[in-house]
Amino acid sequence: MGSLKESAVSGSNPLDSPVKQIQIDGLVVLKIIKHYQEEGQGSEVVQGVLLGLVVEDRLEITNCFPFPQHTEDDVDFDEVQYQMEMMRSLRHVNIDHLHVGWYQSTYYGSFVSRALLDSQFSYQHAIEESVVLIYDPIKTAQGSLCLKAYRLTPKLMEICKEKDFSPEALKKACIGYEHMLEEVPIVIKNSHLINVLLLDLQEKSTVADKHELLNLSSSNHLEKSLQLLMDRVDGMSQEIVKYNTYCRNLTKQQQQKQQYLQRRQQENTQRQSRGEPPLPEEDINKMFKPPQAPPRMDTLLIAGQVNNYCQNIKAFTSQNLGKLFMAEALQGHSS
Amino acid sequence: MSRFFATGSDSESEESSSADEITPKATGTTFSKHIVCCPLRFRFEELTNIIKTIRNAMKIRDMSKCLEEFEQLYRAFLKSKTIVDKEGVPQFYIRLLADLEDYLNQLWEDKEGKKKMNKNNAKALSTLRQKIRKYNKDFETEIVSYKEVLNCSPNVISSSSKSDDDEDVTAKSLMKKKPQEEEKKAPEASKFLKGESESEEDEESEDWGSDSVDSGGESEDNEGAAASLAVVFLKKYVYGDKQPERKKDDRRKRHKKMEQVDEEADEEGEGEEGGWEKVKGGVPLVKEKPKMFAKGTEINNAVVIKKLNEILQARGKKGTDRSAQIELFHALAGISNENNLGEGILVKIKFNIIASLYDYNTNLAAFMKAEMWKKCLECIDELLDILFENSNIFIGENIAEDSENLAISDQPFRVRGCILTLVERMDEEFTKIMQNTDPHSQEYVDNLKDEGRVCGIIDRLLQYLESKGSTEEVCRVYLRRIMHTYYKFDYKAHRRSLGLQGETKSEQDQEESEGEDSAIIMDRLCKFIYAKDRTDRIRTCAILCHIYHHALHSRWYQARDLMLMSHLQDNIQHADPPVQILYNRTMVQLGICAFRQGMIKDAHNALLDIQSSGRAKELLGQGLLMRNMQERNAEQEKIEKRRQVPFHMHINLELLECVYLVSAMLLEIPYMAAHEFDARRRMISKQFHHQLRVGERQPLLGPPESMREHVVAASKAMKMGDWRTCHSFIINEKMNSKVWDLFPETQRVREMLVRKIQEESLRTYLFTYSSVYDSISMATLSEMFELELPTVHSIISKMIINEELMASLDQPTQTVVMHRTEPTSLQNMTLQLAEKLGGLVENNERVFDLKQGVYGGYFNRGTRTRPRNLIKDHFQIKINCGYQQRQNYQRGGYRNQNQSSY
Repeated sequence: MGSLKESAVSGSNPLDSPVKQIQIDGLVVLKIIKHYQEEGQGSEVVQGVLLGLVVEDRLEITNCFPFPQHTEDDVDFDEVQYQMEMMRSLRHVNIDHLHVGWYQSTYYGSFVSRALLDSQFSYQHAIEESVVLIYDPIKTAQGSLCLKAYRLTPKLMEICKEKDFSPEALKKACIGYEHMLEEVPIVIKNSHLINVLLLDLQEKSTVADKHELLNLSSSNHLEKSLQLLMDRVDGMSQEIVKYNTYCRNLTKQQQQKQQYLQRRQQENTQRQSRGEPPLPEEDINKMFKPPQAPPRMDTLLIAGQVNNYCQNIKAFTSQNLGKLFMAEALQGHSS
Repeated sequence: MSRFFATGSDSESEESSSADEITPKATGTTFSKHIVCCPLRFRFEELTNIIKTIRNAMKIRDMSKCLEEFEQLYRAFLKSKTIVDKEGVPQFYIRLLADLEDYLNQLWEDKEGKKKMNKNNAKALSTLRQKIRKYNKDFETEIVSYKEVLNCSPNVISSSSKSDDDEDVTAKSLMKKKPQEEEKKAPEASKFLKGESESEEDEESEDWGSDSVDSGGESEDNEGAAASLAVVFLKKYVYGDKQPERKKDDRRKRHKKMEQVDEEADEEGEGEEGGWEKVKGGVPLVKEKPKMFAKGTEINNAVVIKKLNEILQARGKKGTDRSAQIELFHALAGISNENNLGEGILVKIKFNIIASLYDYNTNLAAFMKAEMWKKCLECIDELLDILFENSNIFIGENIAEDSENLAISDQPFRVRGCILTLVERMDEEFTKIMQNTDPHSQEYVDNLKDEGRVCGIIDRLLQYLESKGSTEEVCRVYLRRIMHTYYKFDYKAHRRSLGLQGETKSEQDQEESEGEDSAIIMDRLCKFIYAKDRTDRIRTCAILCHIYHHALHSRWYQARDLMLMSHLQDNIQHADPPVQILYNRTMVQLGICAFRQGMIKDAHNALLDIQSSGRAKELLGQGLLMRNMQERNAEQEKIEKRRQVPFHMHINLELLECVYLVSAMLLEIPYMAAHEFDARRRMISKQFHHQLRVGERQPLLGPPESMREHVVAASKAMKMGDWRTCHSFIINEKMNSKVWDLFPETQRVREMLVRKIQEESLRTYLFTYSSVYDSISMATLSEMFELELPTVHSIISKMIINEELMASLDQPTQTVVMHRTEPTSLQNMTLQLAEKLGGLVENNERVFDLKQGVYGGYFNRGTRTRPRNLIKDHFQIKINCGYQQRQNYQRGGYRNQNQSSY
């Protein structure tokens, strides 16, 4: 565990969002990690609730509790009930009990999904300042704590509110995958006592783990990322094909409609010249029902996810490349 | 006159028991022939008989009956006009007229009685009264004179009538009885000759009925009459000792025939032996016999044909009793036989018998009953006997009824009818019987025994038609013969070809049936059809059967070549379902044959279509699939049921599936190993993969039970290159009994299989583990897989040539040196990703093109002159560059991939 303190990544500045910075207690971080280690396995995802306070434009997360893992069979389990129960209990022991968001573990950075979007939307809709913390256990296990806070951009909130994911609406909203989620910088704050303890531990820790500096991470990680990336690319391809067929159908129908209208008009002029009454107007939309447009939100999400993977892979490979160069240099030096 | 009086009144006054009365009557029949020549007596008998009935009716005040009879009497009187002119009006006639008029007048006066009468009777009374008044005017003088006589000497009349009454049985001499018998027969004979309708018959039977009413006091309904009639005739056999010997023999003959017809025939036969017998209230039995009798007098060709036509006319009508018809035909055949009317008529009748046997079941789906079937076989056999014995009979379906020549003459017989159609129909019936018998019952075996007879008949017909029939007919009968041959394995030929000195017993068998090999027969018949047939269907069937037969006897190359030359694959979908089923059967047999020969790939290809659909059972016509009723209604189901192949011709579905799965395994496992990282890997066999997946889904893997589980387990072992385990899964006790022992050359097939397993396991092993080795000694490999060194060498060489294996052979040390050219899994992954991105870009391009309305994006970018949006252009260039780079990269990738795949 290198630097528990500021592992926050500088994100794009939130424009008018009420939260500009997030301050997390060490306790919360450890609790999330513990939760994953106890319950999360493989690609399974653990989730929990964040509790805290908003202070000016800073969101302080001071506590959290996990959602219990529940199987399909116990239908009786009521999540909301459980949350309320939990918060009430926490209030009894005088702990911050305000709901400010939720956290979720991720598997190789795959978190941009419809489910996340929906639940974050409902959170943000109800509690404006709520965030989602994404915790990447794999990276963390490799030595760098990876914890990121995301919020939906106001634009996306607008779209989600209208629930209109048609191509036109998204075009109008001018939204791209880059503008879907905004990352909020995180600061981890510990009490002074803990800081002192950490410093003390740093002194005492052996040098052994410093050897791993040049260790190339297993290619397994890269492979997995590639696999996931590939999967998403496939998804993207499918979406595009869908969209393509839709477009083609649309134009075809447009042509048909045009032809029909022309024919109608010709007939009407003929009738007029013969002195007959024109044909009655019919509902053209009834005759030519426009094809169902594929929702474009999925495409956006996939694009976002692909972008995410790419960033991951880029970061990973650049790190490794650096290490390789260093190793080369060292070897050349020693020989 | 007194005689007429006597007969006229004798039954009226008869007090004797019915049995007594019947006996003389029965004897009388035999003499009836000699008396028929006297017209006077004949006519007068008729009249007296009617008069008797009228008097009966008068007694019971049945006016409608009276009226009816009176009209008849009037008619009969007119008929006998010539005689009457000669002899004068008979006294009894006048007496009746007078009596009747008196009687009617009396009734008319009796207002009370009239009221009591029912409507019909009252009406009849008035009509009759008017009629008789009118009629009697013609006989006024006679009646008056009669009445005068009556008034003058009533005593005379009464005494004479009394003496009539007193006449007892003994007094009724044979001479008196004869005419009565005669008159009974007469109307019938006339009916037969004139072909009159039933009404007369009714009357006649009513005559009889009234007779029995008088004697026995029984009810007057028709059935009772018929039953008593039956008694009369049945008893004739018992007491008919006076009958000439010849007649008796004939009857016996006929009885023999009946035996086959009726289940009750036995009893009847016993009855014939002597003593009483139970009368089975069978009306047809009774109906038939009198008719045959009447004919007995003047049987000749014309009569028989007429009768035949008459019976035929009833055919297909609603009320016709079909079994009775069949019996009628039989009786007719017997009669024509006994009268030596010649074979022509006999053949004609036989044709009709068989046809009516087929007709017996109106429902197309129903099958013949066992007795009917037996009879049908016999009939056809007899018919063939006749045809063989008499070469001067011409039969044909296109001989017109008019130009038939049935009589014995110098000219050859010409008979309308088609024996071939009958035999074909018989064959179909046989199939139907087999379809409708439970295949697991003894009954099925029993029925199957008839196949020999069916084949025998077809063989005989074949011989017959070869000498007489047209080519088309010969083709048709050949096809029948083929259809009965193609699916049978010729064990004798098989044994001979193996050169086995079979045990003495089997040798005897061989000598017993010195016939040709079925292969030679098939060859001869099929080639004839190929050359001569002009209907496509017969040829198609023949080809398919021929292929099937070849395949069944492991003549793979002949079968395959024939299949390929016939080009049946191209147009079989236009054929009718039975032919398609035959095609499917043939394909399956071909596949199994290929498998036995070790042509795994061919076997797989042949079986793929049938097996991949998962409806093998249905496609082979070996059963119906359970489907909901929406997809097929009851009608369709019936049709489908009719298409089913009889059980003894079935192809073992488990064997089929096993052969398919094993061949799929032998192909698929090495392929899978070779293409482990290939994203575009195609499945060779979907079904096999499905089985594998099912196997994987099992939470707990026990030792394999079913055939499928065995194959799946074997596949898993093979994946690891573990041929020994694979072998033990494929060939073991269970699999032997289930599958392998069903092949005729079990041992050879098993050896072939082991060999294939070893080879394919070696290949799989090399594919899977080559990355682990730097080099491997071929000796080691040969030891591991128990293959000879040259074989290993050849397999590896082949793999290297096909670029499946990146390696080279080091000759001096006999080792395989691996080249490390296969991409690592990460590289593979990147290649795949690159490919996918290519696809994505292409798809994207398409969307873009749609927006642009121009096709061909980057391909013809250089030549495009149209002004474009700058930004879009820029975008496109960017993509284009990337794409081209990617392509370059991919080209290298492709090479790699190609190397790894083949």
